[in-house]
Amino acid sequence: MLTINLFNGLVYGALLVVMCSGLALIYGLRRVVNFAHGSLYMLGAYLGYSMASYSNFWVALVAVPTVMALLGVLLDRYGFRLLQDRDPLSVVLVTFGLLLVIEDFVQTVWGKSNLSLSAPAALNVSVDLFGTAVPAYRIAVIGVGALVALGLSLWLRYSKVGLFVRAASTDPTTTAMQGVNTDALSAGVVGLGTALAGLAGVVAAPFLSLSPSMSSDVIIDSFVVVVIGGLGSLAGAFVAAMVLGMIQALGAVYLPAVAGLLPFVLMVAVLIWKPAGFAGSRT
Amino acid sequence: MSIQRISLGTVGALAAGAIVAAGVSSSTVLSLLTQAIVYAVFATGVGLLLRQNGRASFGHALFFGCSGYAVGIMLQLKLMPAEAAIAVTLAGMAVIAFAMGLVIVRVPGIAFGMLTLAIGQMFYVTASRARGLTGGADGMNVQWPATLFGVTQSQLLKPATMFLVCWATLVGVLLLLTLLLRSRFGSITEAVRDNEERARFIGIRTLVPRAAVYALSATVAGLAGVLSALNTGFVSPENLHWSLSGVALMMVVVGGYKALWGPALGAVVYFLAKDILGDYANHWMAIFGVALITVIVFSPTGIAGVLERLVKRKGATPTAKAPVGH
Repeated sequence: MLTINLFNGLVYGALLVVMCSGLALIYGLRRVVNFAHGSLYMLGAYLGYSMASYSNFWVALVAVPTVMALLGVLLDRYGFRLLQDRDPLSVVLVTFGLLLVIEDFVQTVWGKSNLSLSAPAALNVSVDLFGTAVPAYRIAVIGVGALVALGLSLWLRYSKVGLFVRAASTDPTTTAMQGVNTDALSAGVVGLGTALAGLAGVVAAPFLSLSPSMSSDVIIDSFVVVVIGGLGSLAGAFVAAMVLGMIQALGAVYLPAVAGLLPFVLMVAVLIWKPAGFAGSRT
Repeated sequence: MSIQRISLGTVGALAAGAIVAAGVSSSTVLSLLTQAIVYAVFATGVGLLLRQNGRASFGHALFFGCSGYAVGIMLQLKLMPAEAAIAVTLAGMAVIAFAMGLVIVRVPGIAFGMLTLAIGQMFYVTASRARGLTGGADGMNVQWPATLFGVTQSQLLKPATMFLVCWATLVGVLLLLTLLLRSRFGSITEAVRDNEERARFIGIRTLVPRAAVYALSATVAGLAGVLSALNTGFVSPENLHWSLSGVALMMVVVGGYKALWGPALGAVVYFLAKDILGDYANHWMAIFGVALITVIVFSPTGIAGVLERLVKRKGATPTAKAPVGH
């Protein structure tokens, strides 16, 4: 029993890792808390649903993040870049407006009823894990989360572009003066962040049902994660995502009466104790 | 603004409300307006925080919903007369919000918004689950007594009376806030908002004014919650949901938060637009989303800002010939 709960915690944590790394990357470069990130995830899930029905799941897994990346580049070029001198609150409100538009779009195209997508045949089997049968697809979700976390960490740590991204996250002006094209860099990073939201959506589609409320569920958890982890900190977000995933999964079983409250209690406690979050040093 | 202009504005506004209540015979239109005015009070509360504190709350539905629930529960348990229940609720909102404010206003900028969102959702989840006390997701009926503040319920439930009650409340709130913000409290909170560090250098304690603004804005939102419970006789977890906080914030921004009356205007515009859109109202999210983005990009001071500029330009033309002297 405990095994399966811990396992489900890992699965949800992995999904949050993919979501929150996008959120943290965008915050790092553009200092924008993207309220539309959850809607982009939802858009990704529904696009994945349609593409998987027309062709197959694997095509959707590649095509949806690609489409979302393009959308992200456009969002940065014609949104965040033009608004970069505005106060952060205005930009947050613009993303809130975007959230409303995307939600409406999704409800108009796909309707309000719940949809479900079955896992690809190759992964639609059960695997024995420490004596408990678990769906292979969920193991793959954990794998995706781990790959994203590892890939991003290596990329930021060892590649030249990664170095630029880290520099621009610390001080965009000085980085631009050193000859880095921070606008192109930001477009790329927002594209990547949006692609990750889309990826999270496609990955989530076969094990969470698709409904108009899926965006607000995940964005609130994601906010809790990035605030606990420290805004803009990837490592903080990874740790906080796993902690939150575990809390959600274990709380639902062992403390059902207050399970919904646990993430928020954790968030409020962390913020009172360390207003900038675990790994956050800057505001 | 001079005292004369303030009193003139108040009397004018009350008279205008009376004219609307007497002149509009359609009860559908009146109840639409009443609903708009309830949300106008709510938006005024949210706008106050943004105006005096520079902080956007994504969770003010917390106070809107909780005060409705508080009154409803007190009446259901027959703890005290309804008038006292309203007073206790509002005082309770102020005290709780002040205590909360002391903690959360220290959180910087955007994280504040996310924190208020999380706290608000926490109460939404709790209210949806606590079936015994709140009726859970189904909501609860508020059992108002036969007479409230000396007015019988049948009289109160007439659309015209309800509209006047809400309108008078809105005018009263705006009047009190105008007077309060003219005082030293207004200057202090503005100094703290503009530069907290400098305000501290000149000897102002910054935490208490910030928390006080938060408490004040929460109390106004709570008042709107009580009005809503009076108007509909019903409270549900929807009153606590974060989308309601978001809509209120949208009214604030579209109406224009730099002016005290801007958010109220935003609320009225929101409801009228939703009504005029009629069948298209299914797409209200996209329409208002685009409107929100347009306003922020092209007119950050909102509708109120545009109106103020128009009035100033008109007023400036005749005096332009006069010798320049300020």
